[in-house]
Amino acid sequence: MSLDYRMILARLLVYGAALVLVTLCGFPLVWMVLTSIKPDQEILSAAPTFWTANPHLGAFERLFETTNFPTYFANSLIVAGSATVLTVFIGALAAYGITRFRFRGRELVAGTMLFTYMFAPIMIVVPFYIVMRNLGLVNSHLGLILSYTTFSLPFSMWLLRSFFQSIPIDLEEAAMVDGASRPQAVIRVILPMAFPGLIAVSIFTFIVAWNDYLFARVLIGSDSLKTLPVGIQDLYESTVTDWGMVMAAGVMITLPALVFFIAVQRYLVAGWGAGAVKG
Amino acid sequence: MHDAVTQAQTIDHSEPLPRGRRIPEHWWGYVLLAPAVILVLGLILYPVIYSFWISLHAKHAYLPIENFIGLDNYAALLDDQEGFWRGLKLGAIFAVSSVGLQLVVGVSAAMLLNESFIGRTFARGVALFPYMVPMIVVVILMRWIFNDSYGVLKYLLQASGIVDDPIVWFSPDNVMLTLILVSTWTFFPFVVIGTLARLQTIDPELYAAAKVDGAGPLRRFYHVTLPQIRNVLFVIVLLRFMFMFTKFDLIWLFAGAGGLGYYVRTLPIYTYVRTFGELQVGAGAALSVTLFLMLVVFSIFYFTIFRRDEQL
Repeated sequence: MSLDYRMILARLLVYGAALVLVTLCGFPLVWMVLTSIKPDQEILSAAPTFWTANPHLGAFERLFETTNFPTYFANSLIVAGSATVLTVFIGALAAYGITRFRFRGRELVAGTMLFTYMFAPIMIVVPFYIVMRNLGLVNSHLGLILSYTTFSLPFSMWLLRSFFQSIPIDLEEAAMVDGASRPQAVIRVILPMAFPGLIAVSIFTFIVAWNDYLFARVLIGSDSLKTLPVGIQDLYESTVTDWGMVMAAGVMITLPALVFFIAVQRYLVAGWGAGAVKG
Repeated sequence: MHDAVTQAQTIDHSEPLPRGRRIPEHWWGYVLLAPAVILVLGLILYPVIYSFWISLHAKHAYLPIENFIGLDNYAALLDDQEGFWRGLKLGAIFAVSSVGLQLVVGVSAAMLLNESFIGRTFARGVALFPYMVPMIVVVILMRWIFNDSYGVLKYLLQASGIVDDPIVWFSPDNVMLTLILVSTWTFFPFVVIGTLARLQTIDPELYAAAKVDGAGPLRRFYHVTLPQIRNVLFVIVLLRFMFMFTKFDLIWLFAGAGGLGYYVRTLPIYTYVRTFGELQVGAGAALSVTLFLMLVVFSIFYFTIFRRDEQL
């Protein structure tokens, strides 16, 4: 039957296209992992193999033992972790304030927060560097933490605001009538209900801080303070490229981002409208 | 996806709770907002205004030189063929080609991922991968895949007979093309996320009706899908163009910092070079202000042209 034939053809087309898409997106990452566990002689080969019979972790050993990678990794964790905690705290305070109190300038603040979204990092970085230098925050983790917190705040406030707005105020009032103080009502009633929002904000901030190159490059000079993106760039450019080791570094940096990504996937689409994805 | 925004505008829970305290209730609004407002004012808005001010000076990054020179920095840009005008041209080529490709690949992928097939959830996850990979990883990975001697792409293209002579991806002639391809790979998932969210809300009845009317796949796309995703594409294209036109990290890490930097020296790269390479902070600030003004002008044009289009 011609109808059946056409339906089968359409199905085949869908699966063929899906295969192409998955390969295009997934293959580079598979190739990265494969290169990181291949023996050296297999890496530099004119006819690369798509499997290896002798996987080994030599590249990872070199990465951890002969470079400052562990330091960069720890620095990235400290900076991204601190920025995340700070953003969630400050963002939640602000979002609560803006949804639960009426005061002059409230709309102006909300509007301004969105407006800051207009500024790409490269437009801010020049004066930003001078401001940070005047504050004595150049070449310190504190400077980076404050930077990432600030850049994540507008989006975080915006997202948390919509979460807080969707929580009925009656719940808080009920808790307070029952004798809870306002902070207790917030901690016991509001925060648990806004939990998905807090998680989404955490992950967004963590990824911003974990991935940033520009501000880390400009603000950090000492090798012992570098975060991963800057450290890896210097590693890559300072030596004859050890591809196995560089790919091992790639695997190590991607893993945390990927774990967070899988955790956040379902919030990502919801947050898209609010500008969760930028770059 | 618009829910959050519309909600924010329509629901208003702002009446203060009926409580008497030592501090007037509405003050708490200011107190709670203070940390966020101080940070954003101090580290985003103040620097932006400050950069207007710096751009009116001949200022060195380290030496204590700071002379007011009015609009001289801007005037110098107009004469700067090699830096400014060339950067503008390269940036436009990069942004327009990359956004165009992202749009084509992204919309196609979104339509595919909207079909039902076995393994769709997996495919959706994998398709968003490239966007989540840290930029430094994208760069080192693509430098390896596109490597002139041992790159797997060179091998695949030659083994499959698509090209006879290896393409030198990192050459003055090709580096921009390579960069555009890599940027498409990394950023098209943004288009997928936005388009797919919208596609999922299209009423299947519309397609059924079009089918009954005898419309083929192509006509269904033009007459059903496209009008429905039009508004979301309008926003996506604007955002993507603004992001690509101001893109720094990918270009700089991929080629900008090395010997091929000259061939991809777009305005963001040039801003960075002027400021942190040549230490001319005043000139760098003038560039970043100009970049900002260009985006404002671009957005205004974009809105007027497409608004008018909509009324036709």
